[in-house]
Amino acid sequence: MIVFFISHVLNPNPALLWAGPKARPETVKAVAAAYHLNDPLPAQLYYYFQSLLTGNFGLDPQTGRPILSEIMFYAPNTLELVLASMVIIIVLGIGLGYISGMRFGTKIDSAIRIFYLTTWSTPYYFGALVAVLVFSSYIPLFPSGGNGTVGFSYTSITGVFVLDALLQAKWPALQSGLYHLILPATTLALLSFGIVPRIMRSSILDTRWSMHVKAARARGLQEGEVRQKHILRNALIDTTTVIATTFGWLFSGTIIVEQVFAWPGIGQFSYTAITSDNYPVLVACVFVFTVGVIVANFIADIIYPLLDPRITLGEGG
Amino acid sequence: MTIAVTLVIVIVVAGVAVYLGIGLRPNSSTSATSSGSPNGRTSLVLEEESQPDTLDPAVTYVTPGWEVVDQVYQGLVTYNGSSITQFEGVLAQSWTISSDGMNYTFVLRNGVTFSNGDPFNAYIMWYSIYRTLVMEQAPYWILGQNLAPGNGAGFNVTDAMLNSINYSAPSQANLSVMERSQQSVQVLNASEIRFNLGYGSNGVAPYSEFLSTLETPMAMAVDPAYVASNGGVTAGRPNGALTTKAMGTGFYELQSWVPGQSVSLVKNPGYWGAKLPKSELNNAIAPAILNNIIIYYKPAAASIADLKSGAAQMIFLPVTFYNVTKGISGVTTKVLSPAFGSAEAVSYVYMDPLAFEPFNNTLVREAIACGIDYQVIIKNVFAGLAIQWVGPVPPGFQYYNQSTTGLSPYQYNATKAAELLAQAGYVSHLPDGTKLNPSGKVFPSVNFLYDSDSQTDFEAAQIIESNLGSIGIPLTLLPLPYRTYTGVIYSSSTSSTSYPMGIGFYSEDYTASIDYVYYFTSDNYIGTSNYADGNAIAWTLQASTSFNNATVISSFTNITKAMYDNYTDVWLYVADMMTVQQNGITGIIPNPAGSAAGYFLYFNTIDYSS
Repeated sequence: MIVFFISHVLNPNPALLWAGPKARPETVKAVAAAYHLNDPLPAQLYYYFQSLLTGNFGLDPQTGRPILSEIMFYAPNTLELVLASMVIIIVLGIGLGYISGMRFGTKIDSAIRIFYLTTWSTPYYFGALVAVLVFSSYIPLFPSGGNGTVGFSYTSITGVFVLDALLQAKWPALQSGLYHLILPATTLALLSFGIVPRIMRSSILDTRWSMHVKAARARGLQEGEVRQKHILRNALIDTTTVIATTFGWLFSGTIIVEQVFAWPGIGQFSYTAITSDNYPVLVACVFVFTVGVIVANFIADIIYPLLDPRITLGEGG
Repeated sequence: MTIAVTLVIVIVVAGVAVYLGIGLRPNSSTSATSSGSPNGRTSLVLEEESQPDTLDPAVTYVTPGWEVVDQVYQGLVTYNGSSITQFEGVLAQSWTISSDGMNYTFVLRNGVTFSNGDPFNAYIMWYSIYRTLVMEQAPYWILGQNLAPGNGAGFNVTDAMLNSINYSAPSQANLSVMERSQQSVQVLNASEIRFNLGYGSNGVAPYSEFLSTLETPMAMAVDPAYVASNGGVTAGRPNGALTTKAMGTGFYELQSWVPGQSVSLVKNPGYWGAKLPKSELNNAIAPAILNNIIIYYKPAAASIADLKSGAAQMIFLPVTFYNVTKGISGVTTKVLSPAFGSAEAVSYVYMDPLAFEPFNNTLVREAIACGIDYQVIIKNVFAGLAIQWVGPVPPGFQYYNQSTTGLSPYQYNATKAAELLAQAGYVSHLPDGTKLNPSGKVFPSVNFLYDSDSQTDFEAAQIIESNLGSIGIPLTLLPLPYRTYTGVIYSSSTSSTSYPMGIGFYSEDYTASIDYVYYFTSDNYIGTSNYADGNAIAWTLQASTSFNNATVISSFTNITKAMYDNYTDVWLYVADMMTVQQNGITGIIPNPAGSAAGYFLYFNTIDYSS
């Protein structure tokens, strides 16, 4: 609803933009009619929800291509970036949060907190540009953009370049894909991950002095077992929820990060749609983002019982 | 898990990342995007911020789209690379214009083929032009001024007709359609085609800049068989498949377009121009020298980083980055002549009298023209890399010097501005603070629109607000994102009073002074002060239909003087345009046509000096 109203308030006459500023009035009218732009707002809202619910997004008014096929091109690229970032976030976020919590009050704790709070509070645009300048220009370790597909012939199976290259054993392509993936994925991860170590640290602190941990130690369990089974495992429950939330953050971050790294994903596609008042495409992008967040939360729900046997899937108690 | 183990994991992860950066870096044989000079110096990486809208020549309406289309497709004529008024034949061997200027007859080159091997002929040219007209997408009007699918007397070229004709071996029925004389495009025989003007929106009249319109992508040859295999022609609709695919007669083939990332072009191995003797070649048809051109679409900061690291050899940046790139060693930054800046954008302040009553008073408009400190804008916003101008003919274009003879750009004079405002009946302030006409009306606050995506417009708007506020004209700055902003200034609605004033701009649709003059005098847009003067319209028509230089100059001079004395628009500035590339790149032929790549038209002549 918010997207619908904001997009319709920003430009009252998108047909003029889609048909071209010097289009004949009849052409502008035809475009407006094709996209229901002359209908009352409630009717337009109906068509908006119809598109959302049926997944039939129609044709892109600016390219003439089916929006679904455009989404199917961009979405896997974003998924590749987001999943790679997620791996980095899970490893770094849980690792750093754990160390920070276990070394509470030490210089290491302070250093880790400064690190994740700094990256977390850095705006995406600034952080991404700094990453490009440092790691592509001053220390040329990584390419400044692209997903590495240029110059390689391969069949798109999943749409995820790295995966497709792997499935087809195209090793140079896989190498190129990974090489191009590291910097944007790490940048996206570092700029989004702050909440994960923070919650992990807080959960560790809550858990490490709790009664059940004391009881475990009293039972004579090895310190390693206490930490792994009683501290880490319990601390992961809250962290899992936060990681699922972070998935949504990552999607929003892709809008900027993909722009800076010339990454052909849904974030950049939505940015273009926003700046060109392309409502039909925007609807589809919102749909994809929403589905992404829902799926992430669903996965988190599935993981809870694995971490805590007290939680079960199915009927509530 | 111990702390030490966790720490080791973190360190290993960081180490792996650095290892991957070094270890995974492909060598130049596996990736064209790696840092360093191109493999064997037969490829070039160009970077710019904006990307194509589509690669369909009948649909693309932004410079980056034209830039790619110009490498893959070809039209009948183009500029010769040193002038924007002299044309060279591309697919046309020669042409003649009838004495009344209503008919253009082209003799086509023999032996031209598309990159898939399909031969080109006059029937295909007929198809290509009508395809643009029948699809009727945003840039259609460029041809639609003079040409139309129908003749107004029952003959109408439709999408079904275009999709059914056999263009390689046309039947008698096919020929009877294409050879019909009463239509916009008429095939004379397989190698001759005639354009009959008078069917488009301009009415029955010649058009002196018709060749300029034929130079645009809208008039480029497309292969009917290729289009048919990608969905054919649908009236009023873009062809979705041809948005990202392209196949033409040009010296480069499209290898890939990854929207949001890059375009990759490879040399057309079967290019027809390669078979021509050198004596017949010109810059527009010479075979490509470099094997591979990759264009990346990245923000300015990333492009500068890539230029420094050697990952990009050329980048396109606005002139406000001049001092940044000028300081990079091994890089050449050069400012081009004013025509290039004009092709990109001419800027002005519009004042819509239909939306804001005080603008009906010429004294008010003159006060505004005197109240803006142009030199401060040029110095502070553009670091001196812009010029003031007098419109509507743009600087550097044909007839600019003649049409502005005796007229100097509006000058900043705050005292005079305050006096004029007082004469108009409003309270005003001299620079020393003295209040003039204290019993007069207080000038009402007026909304001032500008493009919030443009840093230069943003800064200029602040200066204008300060300048006019100091004499007694309070502005309320109203920024809008580019697309929304253009939607407003191109609107011809007279009911909106929200945007009575602002910074307007115009960039060329085709390279001709008349394109600008038509916009400023005849289109009645909010963004051109809703100016619709009968004399100006008549002079514009006279200029557009005359092949007599003196008549055109006289018409443009009259229009310029009328608008200048009327203070219809306050002509602000034209920013310079610059080229930025690594040293040693040769063969860049600057040509503002279509403002492609910002500053050059074709990539076929580009090479390295060593």
